[in-house]
Amino acid sequence: MKGLSYKITGLLLIIFSLSYGLWTEVPELPIIEQSIRNLFYHVSMWFAMVAMMAASFGNAIGFLTSENMARDRRSISLAETGMFFSILGLLTGMLWAKFTWGAWWTNDPKLNGTAITMLIYLAYFVLRNSIDDPRKRARISGVYNIFAFVMMIVFIGILPRMTDSLHPGNGGNPGFNSYDLDNRLRLVFYPAVLGWILVGTWIAALRYRIRNLEE
Amino acid sequence: MKNTWVLVRRYFSQEVRNSNVLFSLGLYLVGVAYLIYLLNGGGVPADKTWNSLLWIVVFFGAIQLSTRSFEYESNDYFYYYQTIAGPAETIIAKLLFNSAYIAVISGLTWGLFSLFFGNPVFNTLLFGLALLLGSVGCSVVLTLTSGVAQRTQGNATLSAILALPLLLPILQLTSVLNLQAIVGVPTGEALNLVASLAALDIGIGLLAYLLFPYLWQD
Repeated sequence: MKGLSYKITGLLLIIFSLSYGLWTEVPELPIIEQSIRNLFYHVSMWFAMVAMMAASFGNAIGFLTSENMARDRRSISLAETGMFFSILGLLTGMLWAKFTWGAWWTNDPKLNGTAITMLIYLAYFVLRNSIDDPRKRARISGVYNIFAFVMMIVFIGILPRMTDSLHPGNGGNPGFNSYDLDNRLRLVFYPAVLGWILVGTWIAALRYRIRNLEE
Repeated sequence: MKNTWVLVRRYFSQEVRNSNVLFSLGLYLVGVAYLIYLLNGGGVPADKTWNSLLWIVVFFGAIQLSTRSFEYESNDYFYYYQTIAGPAETIIAKLLFNSAYIAVISGLTWGLFSLFFGNPVFNTLLFGLALLLGSVGCSVVLTLTSGVAQRTQGNATLSAILALPLLLPILQLTSVLNLQAIVGVPTGEALNLVASLAALDIGIGLLAYLLFPYLWQD
């Protein structure tokens, strides 16, 4: 089995964050209360998604410069995995929003950004399905992937900072760190992020190999 | 650069010669503006609604325009145009032409809205600037996505599907600026927002310029 060490590391980190995240001591904050534990599960999904999409973007650039079809197969596999994480992130986020803000969906820049990110990548999948010739599909969808990723970063990374948000770290709040991310939370949060990125890489690698067999 | 102007002039004369398209676009603008007037019972919408309606009308006008953006470059014409100009000249010409076109559409819509619903804009200069920058941004996204759609054998609805999510960041930023112009924020205080919108336009314009050569080959 290739890359056994990173797969096992990823799995162990996820098992650690899932279990220890439930019994570790967390700061008692009004309204958020025990739901702060969702930080480990919800926020790490977004970190994993952005990592997958960034890798997909990198492979799209790689394809356009090298015309190597393997790069294209990696790019789409990573984008699919990123989409999977975004669905999980959306579901965990909606659950958290219901218990802290009182609604499943709010007009918050980050939520809008998420909705649009998902629309962008769904459009990317539609585009891929509408072209038959593999080389042409790789080239055209690569162009769209690069453009889409840049717009996504603008939308989720830059615009929310210019408007008010219910999320911590935006609209005048100085940052994520000064919020309440104390060391007890960090101890679980960072391993969770790393673990999900590693397992995401694994999922994408599996999808990539399935694609290779299909070709 | 000389070729770029030749192409822009060529697109322009194509558009003028094809007068029924021009008329249908004009008819669309007047028709929709009047439809809103009728449905609204002749009343004046609130500022925020006025602004969103304006952008929705411009948005669909721009989509309509962009789905035709590459219609003359299909099939054999594609090879013909390739002998005239390279991808860099083509994309610059398209961007210039479409930006101007969408700016004219948004200006006309603003005029029609002023006629039917009154003009709530306090800071005219800022509003005009926002419309112009928004038009440029829309034209970059729409030109690239209609180029993409054209390369997939002219699937017209695909262009709208691809462009829609990408346009939202630009439209959101623009409409924030528009609302500031409506309530009368002095131009100097909105410069920060103007600069970020302009930077976004330039950034994605550059990106479109870099990516287009990969589309423009067979």
